Amino acid sequence: MNISEKGFFAIKEMLYKIADDQLILGHRNSEWTGLGPVLEEDIAFSSMAQDKIGHSLAMYEILSQMGESDPDTIAFMRNDDQFHCCHLVEYPIGEYEFSLMRHFFFDMAEAIRFEMLANSTFEPLAMVARKIKGEIKYHTMHAQIWINQLGAATEESNLRMQKALNETFPLALGIFEPGTHEEILAEEGIFEGEKALQDKWLQLVTPILEKAGLQVPSISSITPSYGGRFGSHTPHLQPMLEEMTEVFRIDPSAEW
Amino acid sequence: MKINSIDPRVNRSKIDPEKKFEEAKELDQWQTFEVFQQIKRGMHHQHVGCVHAPSPEIAFLFAKEQYARRGQCVNIWVVKSSDVFATEYEDADIFDSAPEKFHRDPSTYKVMDRIQAFKERQKS
Amino acid sequence: MYGNAYIDPSLAPNKLTQDEDPIKLAEFEARIAAGDKIEPKDWMPTEYRKQLIRMIEQHAHSEIIGSLPEGTWITRAPGFRRKLALIAKVQDEVGHAQLLYSAAETLGKPREEMINDLISGKSKYSNVFNYPAITWADTAVIAWLIDAGAIVNQLANSKGSYGPYVRALDRICAEESFHLKYGHDNVVYLATGTPKQRQMVQEALTRWWPPIMHFFGPSDKISVHTETLMKWKVKMASNDDMRQTFLNMYVPKIWDLGLVLPDPNLKKNTETGLWEYTEPDWEEFKRVINGDGPCNAERLAVRRQAEEKGRWVRQALLSKDSRYVTPLV
Ligand SMILES: [Fe+2]
Ligand SMILES: [Fe+2]
Ligand SMILES: [Fe+2]
Repeated sequence: MNISEKGFFAIKEMLYKIADDQLILGHRNSEWTGLGPVLEEDIAFSSMAQDKIGHSLAMYEILSQMGESDPDTIAFMRNDDQFHCCHLVEYPIGEYEFSLMRHFFFDMAEAIRFEMLANSTFEPLAMVARKIKGEIKYHTMHAQIWINQLGAATEESNLRMQKALNETFPLALGIFEPGTHEEILAEEGIFEGEKALQDKWLQLVTPILEKAGLQVPSISSITPSYGGRFGSHTPHLQPMLEEMTEVFRIDPSAEW
Repeated sequence: MKINSIDPRVNRSKIDPEKKFEEAKELDQWQTFEVFQQIKRGMHHQHVGCVHAPSPEIAFLFAKEQYARRGQCVNIWVVKSSDVFATEYEDADIFDSAPEKFHRDPSTYKVMDRIQAFKERQKS
Repeated sequence: MYGNAYIDPSLAPNKLTQDEDPIKLAEFEARIAAGDKIEPKDWMPTEYRKQLIRMIEQHAHSEIIGSLPEGTWITRAPGFRRKLALIAKVQDEVGHAQLLYSAAETLGKPREEMINDLISGKSKYSNVFNYPAITWADTAVIAWLIDAGAIVNQLANSKGSYGPYVRALDRICAEESFHLKYGHDNVVYLATGTPKQRQMVQEALTRWWPPIMHFFGPSDKISVHTETLMKWKVKMASNDDMRQTFLNMYVPKIWDLGLVLPDPNLKKNTETGLWEYTEPDWEEFKRVINGDGPCNAERLAVRRQAEEKGRWVRQALLSKDSRYVTPLV
């Protein structure tokens, strides 16, 4: 593997943001466990939340091998300004349509991202990308089927889904906030870049949403919700982290 | 009044504990699908249970996680419960004589004695 | 998770079967005596159907409500290992509810109707879930000991006579072994951890011991009714027998960790082989089961809200031409 020192630095930055997204969204989505709209969906949504948390763990493990702390310390001992997640994942679960639309936008992007990463020159990441392909495939099937069926089912469902779309779309664009080291990543064949990802994503999600009877706003009319990648977050993240780490921080040196 | 729960999720969802439950006018219940799971290629699919779902696609999404979230699985079928034609247990006697149909039973075909006897006869 | 079915001992014995066809009844009872299972569309006594619906339904409610006390700590589980396991465990409980509701549905009561009866308070669920999980250690104690109690009950019931219930329980029991291991592991880590952790788990155990002793219900009054239900393999073991099995398996494991149980009279009588204990406070049990426990209102309100929040999803995809029929299971 011919990755430069700068390349490694860039990889770390990228891994942090991928992992933080997965952890925070997995955590949020897990809140539905036991409270879902119908028993079977409760189970399915919980599985996907667990997958997401599992994926973040795999990413933090790579980071550990690159010299960062152990996964529990990384996940449970940072404050919000040290997190690199996008704003989309930080919001509380809201109503089901919000969670569903967020899940759709995020996982469609995630699927493309990992498809791109499966050929990365950074082999540890490429390996994980290939390994979790099936899980992510189920997530996107789940998201697409639900969007497709709820989008235009009834007037109410259409209204709810459209409202959720309008709320989450600018947040979803925040997924693709460019990093500082995009060029290095592209040059060294590690990752093609957020811009490329966003273009592919938009091409993929637009027809699905339209077919479901939903309107996709023109991207030029929207200000993406940026800042998360650089540690600037919504007011939702810090309280969430405090909650998540409440027990762990009773004694971080203890084994739980 | 507000519920003051130990569960932060509950506090976030701002439940009014005084609120009376309004039942839906009509049971908002989807149809059911029977789920068949194949553990491994080469094996038969096996009936494992049912899911409530509004469509076959969603039934599949549900079946996958309810019945195949642990252990092995390579394939799932979902079939509307209403499409399954099942025999009545009351009529189980239609199967009664099947085990006794000796002409279908390979072990009832014993020709060695006959061949042996034939050979003996040939010798003499 | 579930303790045991509550059976009304006051029902007159002749009421049970007086209107039944004696020939069909004899065939039915002979089938059960031979160890054969009853399947959904078989002829069955009205009382058999009624008691089974009630029992399986209560069991299903106990799973879905049972997901709430532990769910309390889903967002706070310390570390990846616990976080993933707790979500998966609570998810399994929701899965158990789904399996059990399906089994009960085969007897003719639609799932949404059962859920309505749960929320309106018409139908009961296991009393233990009306107590709060105050600290992280409470979830450890619940996952270990309440699940252990549930397993004792479920294993007994899995030898019952009704096919769909037995099949659901086989699947459930297989999953419960993960719950038990996870719960035990969690308690062991706390009990062998820092003084603070040890204190947490001791306090949780002290809090949960009375509900655990209540779990299997008061001693059964032996009546013709309970005898019939035992003959029909609806009720599989007496409440006291199950409590004894539980104590015998788990008290030594608890003491092994140097933890203290808040009952000075708890000991095994070496002559009878039975455990002796201070009689649990059955007045409190009754009071809580009738709605006056620390969390009854919250549990039902949470379930009601989940049901209401999900309603638009269910209604949006309700189609007129795909009629609900009883599942086969
Ligand atoms: Fe996902
Ligand atoms: Fe359970
Ligand atoms: Fe359990």
